[in-house]
Amino acid sequence: MVAAAFSSLITMETEEAQIATGLRRRDPEVLDALIEQYQHRLLRYLAHMTGNMATAEDLFQETWIRVLEKGHQYDAKSRFATWLMTIAHNVAIDHLRKRTPASLDEMRDSEDAAPFEPVAVGPSPFEQVAAIEDKVRIQAALDQLPPIFREVLVLRFQEQMKLEEIAKLINIPLATVKTRIYRGVVALRPALMGGAQ
Amino acid sequence: MNGLEHERAIDLLSRADVEGIPQADARWLESHLAACSDCSAYEMALHGAERAIRSVTVMASVSLVESTRARVHARAQQLREQESRMVLIGVSFCLGVLTSTLTAWIWWKSGAWIAQRLGLPSGIVEPGVLLFWLLPAIVIALVMVTVPPATFEGSLMQRFMRDRMRGMQ
Repeated sequence: MVAAAFSSLITMETEEAQIATGLRRRDPEVLDALIEQYQHRLLRYLAHMTGNMATAEDLFQETWIRVLEKGHQYDAKSRFATWLMTIAHNVAIDHLRKRTPASLDEMRDSEDAAPFEPVAVGPSPFEQVAAIEDKVRIQAALDQLPPIFREVLVLRFQEQMKLEEIAKLINIPLATVKTRIYRGVVALRPALMGGAQ
Repeated sequence: MNGLEHERAIDLLSRADVEGIPQADARWLESHLAACSDCSAYEMALHGAERAIRSVTVMASVSLVESTRARVHARAQQLREQESRMVLIGVSFCLGVLTSTLTAWIWWKSGAWIAQRLGLPSGIVEPGVLLFWLLPAIVIALVMVTVPPATFEGSLMQRFMRDRMRGMQ
C-alpha cells in the first residue's frame, strides 16, 4: 500500500529526483517505501560484508538511520541503490574497523560468524537436500573469502552493478575492481569444482 | 597468444554480462576462448561463481523491517524537534538582538540621567547600562541552552514553529 502510494507520487520528475526530494523533507512515507523496496538487497549485502546475520541486522537499521540523517546529501545524480550501498559500505567499514583496528584488506571473518540461512528450492526432497548442501558449501566458500573480494563479487553478481559503479561505491580504481573480481572468482573456483565432482 | 590477449579476454568476460560488449569483441572473445583453455576455464569459474552467489538467498524478516521503520520514524521525529528548537533559538536570538539595538539609546540616556540625578560615577553606571542592555539576550540564551527540550514541548511557540515548518515543506 505504501509502495503504491509512493509510486503514485511520481509524475513528471524521475524516481531518483522524487527520492531526493523525499529524503530532504525526511518524508516518512518515502522512507517506508524505500525500506520496503531495498530491504532484501541491503540485508543481503550487509550479511555478505559482515558474514554474520545478527550483525547485518544491526547494521541494516544503522544504515537506514544514516540514510535519514544524510538524506539531504543525495543529489539524484546517481542511482539511489548505488548511494544506499555506499552508505551501507561505510556503515559496515566503520563497524569492521571498530571490531578490528586494521585495514579492511587485512580483515578476515571471525570464527563465531554464523552462516546465512539459505532458502532451499527443488522439486524433490533429494534435490532439496542436495541444493541445501550446495548452498551451505557455497556459503562456506564465500565466508572463507576475504571481505574485499566477497564485497565486489556480491555487488557484481547479486546486485548486477556496473564495474564503474562498484569502483565509485568502494572508492577504489576500476582496475582494482577487476582484479578483485578475478581473484575472488579464482579463489572460489576450488569450492565450485568440489561441488561438481 | 600473448599476455595482452589473455588480459583482454578477462576484461571482456568481466564486462560481458552487465555492461555488455560490442559484437566484434564478442566474436573475438569467442574465438579466443575456443583456443585458450585457461581463459575458458576462467569463464566457467566466473559463471559458476555468479550462479553460486545468486543462489544464496538472504531475506529480511518482517520484524526487522518493522523495527527499522519504528527506529527511523523515532529518529526523524527527534531530528524535526531538534530543527524546530534551533529555529526557536535563532528567532529568540534575533529578537533579543533587535530589542537590544532598538533600546540601546534609551538605556544609555536613562543611565546618564540616573547617574546625573544620583551623582554616581560613570565607572558604575556604564557597566550597569551595558548589563541591562545585554540582559534580555543573556536571559534568552541561558533559558534556551539550559532548559531541556521537553519543557518547550507543546508550548504555543513550539507549535507555531512546527506548523510553520510543515507549511514550508
